[in-house]
Amino acid sequence: MARASMPALSEQLLLSVAEQLKLPLLQIARQAELAQLTNNPNLHEIESSADTALRLIDSYVLGMRLALEGQESLMLEPVSVSSVLYDTGQQLEALAKFYGVKLELQVAGKFGPVMAHRKGLQAALVSLGASLIEAMPALESPQLRLQLATHRCRYGIVAGLYSDTETLTAEALRQGRKLQGVSRQPLVNVAHTGAAGIFVADAILHAMRLKLQASRHHRLYGIGAVLQPNNQLALI
Amino acid sequence: MNVLLIEPDRLLADTYRLALEAVGHSVRMCAGAQSAIFCADEVTPDVVLLELQLVGHSGIEFLYEFRSYPEWQNIPVVIHSHVPAGELAGSWQVFKKHLGVSSYHYKPLTSLQKLIHVVQELSPIETALEQPISSNQV
Repeated sequence: MARASMPALSEQLLLSVAEQLKLPLLQIARQAELAQLTNNPNLHEIESSADTALRLIDSYVLGMRLALEGQESLMLEPVSVSSVLYDTGQQLEALAKFYGVKLELQVAGKFGPVMAHRKGLQAALVSLGASLIEAMPALESPQLRLQLATHRCRYGIVAGLYSDTETLTAEALRQGRKLQGVSRQPLVNVAHTGAAGIFVADAILHAMRLKLQASRHHRLYGIGAVLQPNNQLALI
Repeated sequence: MNVLLIEPDRLLADTYRLALEAVGHSVRMCAGAQSAIFCADEVTPDVVLLELQLVGHSGIEFLYEFRSYPEWQNIPVVIHSHVPAGELAGSWQVFKKHLGVSSYHYKPLTSLQKLIHVVQELSPIETALEQPISSNQV
């Protein structure tokens, strides 16, 4: 008997996104019902859940567009990693507040600009961050703290998100990529959901020929994008 | 009733807690299997609402651990999960017979009203009314 072939990577991602979207929609539905029951609507929470859903769709669409357009038509520009991290923090602030996660920005040091597709890079970091924020309370870590940070590594400059979650490892990410769209919890020791945001970030960066990888920052564990410093820009 | 709510998503957990508290239940929230065991040890729950998809140890692992303690073997456990019933079809007999699961509810299709109703039905008063103590029970 012929077996159905494995879905393509893009189909797996779509499946993962569709599954993930159930969560914010469920939050909205139940919060609306609670508002009717208690006569006390929490519109800010409903707004935050809707924003989460919209952000995930937006990031997914951007990733697909970048992949379809191809590397040749990417609009690269000099980008300051610090400013991208700052803007990412701004976008994630409301979500972090609702999940009780303390968001910190650590951009000490000079890194110079990198040539990148700014919108894509930021969408990837926001998507990654939103996924980690949602996952953190479920990890039951004593400190709900997520750090947006940048540092140099031997492959370039890493811009990523870090916490004291020891399970955020390269092996977990490797296994997760394999199980994405196939398993309900591809990152079983990191997130209780399908963690679609992490794989959407991976897809966006992949379309930009960049890499999402697990890395350490000080004593924290995290995931980030590896960017290539532009030596010519550094001279300006 | 003391409800032990095992729900990894914080926003959903808060919503369920508020709904159950609004009808007079006392709710303890836990995001993971390990903390849920500690919670149950501190305050014995009258009913457990369980999500199967947890970080690390799954809800099923929790169930096996929970039922291994004699004092918790008769506490009703309600599965309230993102996992569709179809995916559990083969395991349902094990859940029901060996792990004492009272009922299963697919989260996206279970309203707060329905959940409250499920918990109310498991309250000791209702159970006592349904199953009167027989004369040979001490």
